[in-house]
Amino acid sequence: MEKVYLALAAALAVGLSALATAWAQSKIGSAGAGTLAEKPELSGTVIILVAIPETMVILGFVVAITILTM
Amino acid sequence: MIARMVKIEIVGPSELLLEVLSLLRDLELFQIEQDITGFVAAEDRDKVRPLLLDEKTMAERIYCEDLRARIDELFACLPREEMRQSYLDPGDVLESVNETLQRHSALCREWCRKREELRTELAELGGDSVFLGALEPHVTTIAPDSGLDFIGVTIREPAAVAELMRTLARLTGGRFQLLTVKAEDGTLIGLITLEKDLAAKVRGILGEQHVPEMTFPPELARMPFPEKIRHLRTRTAEVTAGIAAIDEELARFARRWGAIYARVRSWLDERLALLGNTAHLHRTGMCFFIHGWTPAADVPRLTGEIRTKFGGAVLVEEKQILEQDLDLVPVTLRNPPLFRPFELFARLLPLPRYASFDPTPFIAVCFPLFFGMILGDAGYGLVLLILALILGRVFRQRETARDAARILLFSSCYTILFGILYGEFFGEVGAGLLGMKEGFIVERRQAIVPMLCFALSVGLAHILLGLLLGFITALRRKTGREAMFKLVNILAILCLVVLVLSRMEIVPRLLTRPLALILIFLIPFLFFSGGVLAPLELLKSIGNIVSYARIMAIGLASLLLARVANRFAGMTGNVVTGVLLAVIFHAVNIVLGVFSPTIHALRLHYVEFYSKFMVPGGRKFEPLRKG
Repeated sequence: MEKVYLALAAALAVGLSALATAWAQSKIGSAGAGTLAEKPELSGTVIILVAIPETMVILGFVVAITILTM
Repeated sequence: MIARMVKIEIVGPSELLLEVLSLLRDLELFQIEQDITGFVAAEDRDKVRPLLLDEKTMAERIYCEDLRARIDELFACLPREEMRQSYLDPGDVLESVNETLQRHSALCREWCRKREELRTELAELGGDSVFLGALEPHVTTIAPDSGLDFIGVTIREPAAVAELMRTLARLTGGRFQLLTVKAEDGTLIGLITLEKDLAAKVRGILGEQHVPEMTFPPELARMPFPEKIRHLRTRTAEVTAGIAAIDEELARFARRWGAIYARVRSWLDERLALLGNTAHLHRTGMCFFIHGWTPAADVPRLTGEIRTKFGGAVLVEEKQILEQDLDLVPVTLRNPPLFRPFELFARLLPLPRYASFDPTPFIAVCFPLFFGMILGDAGYGLVLLILALILGRVFRQRETARDAARILLFSSCYTILFGILYGEFFGEVGAGLLGMKEGFIVERRQAIVPMLCFALSVGLAHILLGLLLGFITALRRKTGREAMFKLVNILAILCLVVLVLSRMEIVPRLLTRPLALILIFLIPFLFFSGGVLAPLELLKSIGNIVSYARIMAIGLASLLLARVANRFAGMTGNVVTGVLLAVIFHAVNIVLGVFSPTIHALRLHYVEFYSKFMVPGGRKFEPLRKG
């Protein structure tokens, strides 16, 4: 039973952080697309802004691995 | 690397100004600085004033502008022809060009005026032709001496025909004929044939009822109908030939003179740009001053050329770059050929400021490395290598595509290298077939925790390098507190890492207490150099290191996708279908394998690494140049 809880916890760690990342990226991405339509020279800045929330899911992934391997 | 710049002051007698500017423009290595704050001492500033053009130069400028406007006017008359190259030097023959241009402009204007007249006439003849063309088959059957007259009318709508018939019947007592035809442009045209005696009366009534009668030019008005048609046709042919003849004359003129006038115009553009540049210069009562920047490597050439051309009459002086000038110094990147393709990534962001670091060499070394670490499959690397070679050959002439192909080439080499180290060739199955039973270093699918530690170690090294560069940049820009903050961050991160390792007993546990004491000792320095938000900045740096876990995570995802592709192919039980499925799945995986590592390796640089040392907002070096 303990294994089930561990697997569930790991899944939640990745799943919830992935959802949060997706939500943040959708907001930033749509704003970024609007920005690029007016100022294409800001593409580098927009890539950075879109990429920033990805850290959340990576952290979630690290937490999941820690849960499964501890 | 950011090229070292030198602050330059050029001084010379006013009469040599335009020649000096012309030389600087030809050399293309000097950027004029409009702001003289850092060039002229505060106590001398009232002795120097902006340079205003003297009467002679002003007259030259007006002359050139007028000549350019008249050449533009001439070109407006000429057709666009393929022009030969002219090697004329207009500076010596400008007066002759001006006189010839007056004659040529008059000639071309006359041709254009005539052509315009003919075109207007052709348009009118076209309108008459529509009407007469529609009626011709009916009119030609009537004899010229029949005593009949013809009235042509335009009928607005088909329903008006019945009303017109009633009116005509009343006026002529039924002695008329009305023919209606639809012209080529869709207009309904009516030809009323009636006795000559009744024609005037009918015309009067139709005029009162607002039925428009077709009118012809005066020379056609008195001609009989069939002759009108013949005349129209002859005249249309004459006018068309006339227009073609004028077009031919203009084309011949453009072929003969166009190149010369285009060359003169381009010379005038350059001359006027040169005269326009004087607005940014300064002078005293006797001499001019040109202040600006040039790359240090080009200074000997600049001084040599000026000395050769002007002897000792024009002086070039190197001035010291002061601390307050640092943000004014223009930036130009000069990297070795091997690193140059990676400027493509640097161009996506604003230029770094002078006295900071150009990130290109670092991204050139680390980007392919990260790409290889993430994708890490010898088979995929081989496919990408072939693709990069093909793209490089196909897009030899297009700079951006060629640079992208070279970046892909470097990245694919690292992908092959890491593929061999991980023991992957189109996933694990391909590696097994090639006898690569296990990776030389590690098998990614099994060794998740070691790979995670490896990714974090890479992150730690990269972030520490970034902080070190930030420390050097801060020293160069003479911002001591920021330099201290970067240094304290480096020490704190190192202490934290060794502390974790000592807790895990990878390094001796004895180190725990001294390291904790050092960390406590660093805290006041952290607050002093970074303010109240300093601990947050430190936490951000730790978060940045953890972010490198994506090297392992994305790589693992790529490996598992390759495994899925091989499993699916194996499940079909048929060789052909299996191979086809494997090719499709692996192709999709390769596309993802290019896209995903590129985005993530870039992100690691842009967000994690650059933020530690990059000072954006550099001014682009834009030297005085032709065109």
